[in-house]
Amino acid sequence: MSSDDAELIAEFVVESLEHLADVENQLLSIESAGGEIDVDLVNKVFRAVHSVKGAAGFLGLQTINHLAHSLENVLNQIRNRELTPNSVSVEVMLKAADALRQLLERVDESNSVDVSIHIRKLDLIAEHREEEALAAIAITRETTTVVESEMRGSAVTPEIRTSLVVVESSKATVESAHEANEDDSSSNAKSSDESVGSGRRGEGPAAADLNIRVPVAVLDRLMNLAGELVLSRNQLLQTLATPSRLGLESAAAGLDQVTSELQEAIMQTRMQPIGTVFGKFPRIVRDLSAKLGKQCNLVIEGREVEVDKTIIEAISDPLTHLIRNSVDHGLEMPMTRQANGKKPIGTLILRAFHQAGKVRVDIQDDGAGINPAIIKGKAVEKRLITAEQAASMSDREAVRLIFAPGFSTAAKVTDVSGRGVGMDVVRTNIERLGGSVDIESVVGNGTTIKITLPLTLAIIPSMIVQSSEHRYALPQVNIVELVRVRTEELGSRIARIKSYDMLRLRGSLLPLVHLHQVLGTHSVKRSADRPMHIVVVETGQFRYGLVVDSLHDSEEIVVKPLGRHIKQCSYVAGATILGDGHVALIIDVAGVAAESHLKNNEIEETKFEEVTEADASDNLQTLLLFSNHPTEQFAIPMSLVSRIERIRSEQIDSVGGRDLLQFRGQSLPLLRMEALVTAKAPEKSERVYVVVFDIRGREVGLVTPILDDIRRVRGAVDTVTFNEPGIAGAIVIDKSTTRIVDLYELARLSNKDWFGEEVHETRRRTVDRPRVLLAEDSMFFQRQVCGFLENAGLEVMTADDGQHALEQLLDGLDVHLVITDIEMPRMNGLELCRAIRAHDTLRKLPVIALTSLAGTEDIQRAYECDVNDYQVKMDREKLIASVRNQLQLVGTSLVEQGVRG
Amino acid sequence: MSTNYMRATNTREMQLATFAVGDLLVGLEIARIQEINRQLDVTPVPKAPVFVRGVINLRGEVVTIVDPRTILGLPPASITRSSRNLVIQSGGELIGMMVDRIADILTICSSTIAAPPANIQGVDGRFFKGVYTTEREIVVLLDLDELLLGRDFKDG
Repeated sequence: MSSDDAELIAEFVVESLEHLADVENQLLSIESAGGEIDVDLVNKVFRAVHSVKGAAGFLGLQTINHLAHSLENVLNQIRNRELTPNSVSVEVMLKAADALRQLLERVDESNSVDVSIHIRKLDLIAEHREEEALAAIAITRETTTVVESEMRGSAVTPEIRTSLVVVESSKATVESAHEANEDDSSSNAKSSDESVGSGRRGEGPAAADLNIRVPVAVLDRLMNLAGELVLSRNQLLQTLATPSRLGLESAAAGLDQVTSELQEAIMQTRMQPIGTVFGKFPRIVRDLSAKLGKQCNLVIEGREVEVDKTIIEAISDPLTHLIRNSVDHGLEMPMTRQANGKKPIGTLILRAFHQAGKVRVDIQDDGAGINPAIIKGKAVEKRLITAEQAASMSDREAVRLIFAPGFSTAAKVTDVSGRGVGMDVVRTNIERLGGSVDIESVVGNGTTIKITLPLTLAIIPSMIVQSSEHRYALPQVNIVELVRVRTEELGSRIARIKSYDMLRLRGSLLPLVHLHQVLGTHSVKRSADRPMHIVVVETGQFRYGLVVDSLHDSEEIVVKPLGRHIKQCSYVAGATILGDGHVALIIDVAGVAAESHLKNNEIEETKFEEVTEADASDNLQTLLLFSNHPTEQFAIPMSLVSRIERIRSEQIDSVGGRDLLQFRGQSLPLLRMEALVTAKAPEKSERVYVVVFDIRGREVGLVTPILDDIRRVRGAVDTVTFNEPGIAGAIVIDKSTTRIVDLYELARLSNKDWFGEEVHETRRRTVDRPRVLLAEDSMFFQRQVCGFLENAGLEVMTADDGQHALEQLLDGLDVHLVITDIEMPRMNGLELCRAIRAHDTLRKLPVIALTSLAGTEDIQRAYECDVNDYQVKMDREKLIASVRNQLQLVGTSLVEQGVRG
Repeated sequence: MSTNYMRATNTREMQLATFAVGDLLVGLEIARIQEINRQLDVTPVPKAPVFVRGVINLRGEVVTIVDPRTILGLPPASITRSSRNLVIQSGGELIGMMVDRIADILTICSSTIAAPPANIQGVDGRFFKGVYTTEREIVVLLDLDELLLGRDFKDG
C-alpha cells in the first residue's frame, strides 16, 4: 500500500466514523417514529451509509462495501415506505452499524473479517422475513461472539458484550419474555454491565481522541494574535533599548492584553459541544429500559453547550452512572406508574446549560422520587449517622445522604446499579473536576440531580495563602468565606472541644485546621497584634476553617502536574507557578481534612441555643456590613453577594464618567454609594473592596473601603425613615443604625440602560412570561424577593398577606405559581395553602413556602399543608431553581433572560 | 539488566559526566542528562518522601528535585556555591538531582568498567552499574533507574 493510499484510507476512516457517529441515535429515532416514517431522517442515515459504501468500494474495502450495501438496501426500503421499521429491524441495523464502525476502526484487517451474519440478517429484513432474522439472531449468538472476538483479538471487549445484551434486550422486547434463556442471558447481561461504565470510555477510534476539530475562524484568530504577540515583543524590546524606557508601561499593557486574548483563543480550540457525550445516552437508556421492562423517553437539551475537552472526557463515566441510576432506581415500572396516575412512559431529561460562568448538567426524572425516611433508616442502619442525627435532619439533607460513602440506595443490589459504590464515587469524581453535585427529590414526583462543572480544568481561580514561609494556592470553589479573628477576640471566638480548635461563627461551631500542623512545618509566631486568618472551606463532606498565616491576592492559576515522587501527598492537588516564577502547591481541601483526621460527624456544626431560638423568628437574615465612611454603616443581604474582591484603588478605570474594573478579561461596572444615595464620601484608601453581585446576568461591583462584618441579625426593618431609592430600609445593629442597600434599585439608579432592555423585554414577553403571586407582609422582603423573581424573568404580583392573596386569586387572578411567606397577619401562609388546596379550581396551583430559616418542624408542618416546596427566603439561587422546577411541572418554563445569553 | 548492559556494550566508547555526591565521585552517561542548572531556590513539599527536596519551576514545568545523598543513605546535602541540579528524563518525567559539585567529563571505553563491589564507602552497591578507575580517582557509574525508580519507594 503506497503512502498516498494510507493517507486516503486514514481520511476515509475519520470521515466515515463522523458519518456514522449520529447514525445510532438516528436509527433510534426511526424506531420510535415507527409507522410515521420521517423520510428526511431516513435519508440522512441513508446518505451517511451510502457515502461510506461508495468510498469503501473505491478503496477496495470489500467487506465494508458489502455490509454498507446491505444496510443501505434496508434503509432504502424504509425510505420508500416498503418496510415499516420496528424493533427487530432497527436492532439488526444497529448491530450492523456497530459492526461497520468496528470494521472502520480496524480498517486494515477489515477485508479478512466475516460479517456475513450481519449481511444475511439485513438481507432477510429486506426480504420481509423478520421472523427468520429473529431466529438468526438467537441462533447465531455464539457465532457472533466468535467472529467478533476473532476480529478484536483475544480480549473480549465491552462493545461485544454490549452488543450481546442488545440481542438479549431485543428479545425481551419482541417476545416479551424468553424464559428458556433467562439464566444464560442474565449472566451475560451482568458481565456487560460491569464493563459498560468503564469500557465505554475507550470507545470510539483513537483517531478521534487524538485529533480535534477546530473552526478555521478560531485558527485565524490565533494566527492574528500570534502576530500581535510578536509585535508586542518587538515593541517591548525596542522600548527596553531606549535609554529612558519611555512607553514601557504601554508596551507591557499591550503584551498583557494580547496574552489574555491568546489564552482565551487557545482555550476556545479545546471547547467541544457536550453533545458528544450525550450522544451515547439514548442507546444506553433504550437498552437498559428494555432490559428492565420499563418505558423511558429520554429528552436531551443543550447539546450545543461547549466545555473543555478534558471535562467532556472526565464527565462521561459519572453521567453514565447517574443516567443508569435514574432508569434503574428512579423510574417505576409502567404498571406502578399507571397505578399512581402517571403516564406509563417515564421521562428522563438530560439538560446542559451555562450558569454564572459554569456549566450545569441536570438529570431529571419523573419517577418515584427518593423517600427521605427510607434513606434515613438505611443510613442509621449502616451507621453513617446516629438516630438522633437522623431525627434532626431535614428531608433535603437526608436525600443528600445518598452521596455518603458506602451508601447504596437499591433495596436489593441489582446488576445494573447499586453495587454500593455508586453515588459517592460519582460525587468524588465530579468534585475532582472542581464541580459539585446536588440532588433534589420529591416523593412521587421525581428526582433531579444537578451537576455544576467548571468550563475548563486547566485554569482555576484561586486564593494565594501563606503558611510558614511558603505560599499555597487554595481553589476558590472550595472557599466559602474568609474570617479574621482579632487578637482580643481570640478567647471568645475560639473554643477547644475534644482535641479540636473550634471557631464560633454565627452561632455554630466550626472545626479549625491549622495548615502548618497538617504540613508539619513550623508556624511563624503570630505577633500579638496580628489577627488570625481563617479561610472557611468546604468540600462535599467537610466544612472547616483553615488557619493560615496570611492571605495574598486571588490569582487565576494554571494547574501543573506533579511528579510521581510527590503523588503520595494527599493534601496537594497539583502545583502552579506564581507571577514571580516561584512554585506554589495547590491545596486539596478534602485531602487536608483527611490528613487532619476530621470526621464527618465530629464536624457537624453544633447549634447553640440562641440559634434554635432564632429559628422561630421569621426575620432572621445574614447581612454583610460595610462602611462607606467610618461613621455610616450599610448592609447588603449576604445571599445577593456573589463574591468579594480586594483591589488596589488605582486599578479602577474611569471611562466616560463611569468607574470600571478590568477584571479577568472582563470589565466590571462599579457603583459607589455616595454617588447614588445620600451618603458621605469615603476617605481615600489604597485598597478597596468590591462587593460583586449579579444583576440580570450581568456582574456589577459595589466599591467600599471598609468591610465590617457578616452578621446574622434579627429585628424589624424600618422601611420609612430612610425612604429613598436605593435604600431598602434600616435596621439597628449594635445600637447603631445601619441602612440596608437595595442593590437592584442601586444598579437601576446607576445605569438605566441595563433596565431599558428590561422594559422592552417586558412588553414583548408579558404574554408568555410565567406569572407568580407573592404573598409577603414585610415590605423589605417583598421587594427583595420580588426583585430576584423579576430578575429571573417572572411577572410578579404581590399581596401583603394571605388574605389579600386569596382574595386576588378568588377574584380570578391567573397565575402559574404562588410563593408565600409563612408568618403573616390576617391569614398565614399555611392557612393560605390550605385554602388553595380546598378550592375547586385553585387546587392544583403549585405553592412554594418561604421562610427565613428552615427548621425541620416548620418544614414538616408546611408539607402537611401540601405545599409543593419549601425554601429559605434569601437563598436566591435555590428559590429560582425551585420556581423553575415547579413551573416545569405545570408545563410552563422559565425562559432564560435574553441579556444572560 | 546491568549484566546485559555490560555484555552488550563491551567495546563501546562512552562519555561520562562526573559529579560529586558526598565523598563519592559519580559518573552518569552524558546522554541521560538533559541540562545542568543552578536553580537552587527549591519550594519544599511538606510530607513528601525524605529524599525529595522540593519542586522548581523549570521554564513552566514543575520539576521534582531529589537529593541522591538521602537515597544512598548519606546525610542530606547542604546547598553551597558549587551545588547544581542535573535534570534527567526518567519514567516519562523530568527529575532534578541535586549534586554537590560538577566534575570532569570523561571519555572511556566501556570494557574498562569493572563490576561494582557490594559496598562502596558504605553505600549499597545496588545503586551502581560499575566502577571505573582513573589515575587518581574511582568513578562509580550510577544506575539511574535503580536510584529513581528503586524498590524502596516504588509505592510512592
